[in-house]
Amino acid sequence: MNSAPKILLVDDNPADANLTCEVLATSENPAQVSTVQDGEQALMFLHRMGQFAEAIRPDLIILDLTLPRKDGRAVLAEVKADPELNELPVVIFTTSHSARDIARCYELGANSYVSKPGNLGQFFSAVRSIENFWFGFASIPN
Amino acid sequence: MTGPGTNANGDRRLHVLLIEDSPADAEIEIAELRRGGFDVAADVVESKDEIRECLGKHSYDIVLADYSLPNFRGMDTLYILAEKGLNTPLILVTGALNSETAVECVKQGAMDYVMKHNLARLPLSVRRAIEETRLRHERTRAQEQLASKVEELARSNCDLEQFAYIASHDLQEPLRMVAAYTQLLSERYRGKLDSTADRYIGYAVEGATRMQALLEDLLAFSRTGRDGLPPAATDVTTTIQEVLKNLAFVLKEHNVTVTCNPLPTILADRFQLVQLFQNLIGNAIKFRGKKSPAVTISAEKKGEEWVFSVVDNGIGIADEHKEFIFKIFQRLHTRAEYPGNGVGLAICKKIVEHHGGRIWVDSELGQGSNFRFTFPAARADRPDKKEDYELSPQNLVSR
Repeated sequence: MNSAPKILLVDDNPADANLTCEVLATSENPAQVSTVQDGEQALMFLHRMGQFAEAIRPDLIILDLTLPRKDGRAVLAEVKADPELNELPVVIFTTSHSARDIARCYELGANSYVSKPGNLGQFFSAVRSIENFWFGFASIPN
Repeated sequence: MTGPGTNANGDRRLHVLLIEDSPADAEIEIAELRRGGFDVAADVVESKDEIRECLGKHSYDIVLADYSLPNFRGMDTLYILAEKGLNTPLILVTGALNSETAVECVKQGAMDYVMKHNLARLPLSVRRAIEETRLRHERTRAQEQLASKVEELARSNCDLEQFAYIASHDLQEPLRMVAAYTQLLSERYRGKLDSTADRYIGYAVEGATRMQALLEDLLAFSRTGRDGLPPAATDVTTTIQEVLKNLAFVLKEHNVTVTCNPLPTILADRFQLVQLFQNLIGNAIKFRGKKSPAVTISAEKKGEEWVFSVVDNGIGIADEHKEFIFKIFQRLHTRAEYPGNGVGLAICKKIVEHHGGRIWVDSELGQGSNFRFTFPAARADRPDKKEDYELSPQNLVSR
């Protein structure tokens, strides 16, 4: 994959979103990252509706669970139920470590679940790992 | 003149509802009560309606009822009393009554029965009935108060636990931001600002990371007892083996010897039990003295409980600190001397108390410590059958 990978980052915390983007920006093949702050915007982006008419189709969605308007679980469920969108890999990236949340997300079709580490170094490693896995090792549909 | 004390009407008179169709009998009964020292105020009635009317208008200390009246069974008064939610005692005063019927009546709720040819017993019977009613009433009130206090405490406890959980959980998020961005600042701008700035940023990062650790510990502490499993039969020896596996690296690093005497099976949450022993053994290693750490674990059955001992050869604890160390976040040393936030023993205490036991320490400064705690014995305890054996990291590995 020679062109820059395209990522949709869904996170309502600008500080967290910024941290994630910082890590992604320092990679060998920096991704093109679009950030939205709530669940409804995420779906509008994916459906290229309204202000997102010109949106690119992402190669990967990094999705937080606690979002205003429509939470991450609802977004995940809708994406995986939609034949146009369900092949998009979705990585849940959230502060919740709860076993219940993890199980529920996998039930809804999440491709993976990463809990946000509290420690900065580990946070960097986590984001780097997500990137390395999905764009380094895994094959994704085009 | 000894009266019955202040009664329901706030005076010293005995208020009697007398259910009797023979006026002569009624007179005799009242006279007998007066002879027995009561200042009697009596209402004499003979029909259901009259009973209802009187009970509705006045309050009585005692109901005296004939067993059979022309249109009414004296015992049916009990239903009327129940209907009105009254617990006024009822004594049957009757002519003919065989003993089986009499006993049956008492079973159904009559406080006592007195035969008309033996009315001398009546005053005493009335006194006892009133006293009994008073005692029952007091007992019920005391029980109700206790129950409501218990409920209040349980609610308060629940609130506190929830508070601790929510506080530590919700505080983590903004703290993560502070910690992350102060660290980023320190990395991005190191050497670009003056050394004072570097130092200040260093303090900020230190504070933030320390607070993160405190919150994690507080969260772990408040989770103990909240997320527990229902107690199940747990073999303590198996628990220790799991703990040793968890601590394998540290055990090897400091050449620790762990000796296990025969240990029972107890009713416990097995994850909490692992946590309990892991904290104690971990402490034994952390607070070691000059010698290689040696820990001995044993248990003794004393009456209805098992008393466990975890003995170490570490630095020991002075008398004045023995209670203090079980409190959350209380530490005896600086962070430079020994790491940790002071939650380990607080968690041990919480786990032990959650299972209905208690924990304490026997120790002398410089002479090691013996941490002792109790667990209620399970109904059917498996008898101890394992011999004394020594567990070293090598033994564990070769398993």
